[in-house]
Amino acid sequence: MSRALAWLYTVGGGFGLAAAIALTLEKIAKLGDPTYVPICSLNPVISCGSVMDSAQAGVFGFPNPLIGIAAFAVVVTTGVAGLAGFDPPRWYRIGLAVGTTFGVVFVHWLIASSLYDIHALCPYCLVVWIVMIPLFWYTALDTWPVLAPLRTVHSAVLALWYVVIVILVLIAFWDYWTSLFS
Amino acid sequence: MPSKTRNPVTARRGVSLNVILTAVVVVVAIAVIGIVLLANRSDNSGAGSNETLRPTGSHTLSQVAGDEVTVVEFLDFQCPACASFYTNITKGLEQDYAGRFTFVPRNFPLQSHPLAVPAARAAEAAGKQGKYAQMYHALYDGYASWALTEDGKSVSDDLPRATTRFEEFATAAGLDLDRFRADVASPEVQAIIDQGVADGTKLGVDSTPTFFINGEKFDPQGSTAGEVDRELRAAIDARLAG
Repeated sequence: MSRALAWLYTVGGGFGLAAAIALTLEKIAKLGDPTYVPICSLNPVISCGSVMDSAQAGVFGFPNPLIGIAAFAVVVTTGVAGLAGFDPPRWYRIGLAVGTTFGVVFVHWLIASSLYDIHALCPYCLVVWIVMIPLFWYTALDTWPVLAPLRTVHSAVLALWYVVIVILVLIAFWDYWTSLFS
Repeated sequence: MPSKTRNPVTARRGVSLNVILTAVVVVVAIAVIGIVLLANRSDNSGAGSNETLRPTGSHTLSQVAGDEVTVVEFLDFQCPACASFYTNITKGLEQDYAGRFTFVPRNFPLQSHPLAVPAARAAEAAGKQGKYAQMYHALYDGYASWALTEDGKSVSDDLPRATTRFEEFATAAGLDLDRFRADVASPEVQAIIDQGVADGTKLGVDSTPTFFINGEKFDPQGSTAGEVDRELRAAIDARLAG
């Protein structure tokens, strides 16, 4: 594993883990006190509360951030092991690629839910969206030989991906953004 | 590992292409988004959308210089939900945020409330003599005495009883009663109400009360008055802070 990828796993996985822990703590606080307003609920648009209370927030029957706590911990561990010199065998890389593919698909389903169904953004979730895309993309580039031609433009693809998401977020909450600027 | 032999080669030839493409994507995106946002801002400050939400001459129950936070409420004086919002939410808001936000009530009388238009006429007629706020408060504070049937169980359609009450409110507010009666019947007052309905429809209002905070429709998540009150105050606070 390249040092760059190991750093990406350590830092990206670390941010994802922190966000998942924060979301879980907010969820627990809300369960204990139904009137609790999460720290990240700033207004009707920037609102963890309405996202956490949605059906999509526990689609597998338990709060989604629990998946994040387990999975991002593996990513961080892999990153730290990589920095320490661990060169994962092919089956391990494929495992990571499959895991991050599940993560990125799930995150995009959550993005669609957040923009078009719940109509609210949750800052901790945004952190997960932001880290999940490069975790998936660079793992896929590292694992699948068929993607080799795209290595020459790796960050341009990442930038384009982010730009598309940013534009979708801008359009979905257009009135909110323009009210901030006017 | 094939990647180890491939990487240095592609790295040397690829870096510049990748960096250029990345920069192009980012710069183009920032430029396009920036231009669209700026163009939109000049649209917004133009008279078009503001005039729909808040035509010149609209009444204000609270006003702040510069109108940095403007709440527009489309209301129906006879709608029970509006009366409940008044009692539990907007009356307190008006007091607690007096002079810190601009609060504009607009008429949106619904077909299902037979006395909604007469009440709106009374409020606008009082406005002609500079006493809109007094009539607005009297109509909601005395809601049960004209808007509901004697048993308080349903919406009243007793126009003579309501008219008597409106004239009592007018007298209490110190209005010239003859002029008030003339204004209530005037097409000018009806036109103001029709304008409210037309503007509300254009803005997508389909129920009352509907609030717009700085032009953005306020969609409360909560179901109880307490929850909605908290959300509305949070939304106003956020804009006061920003």
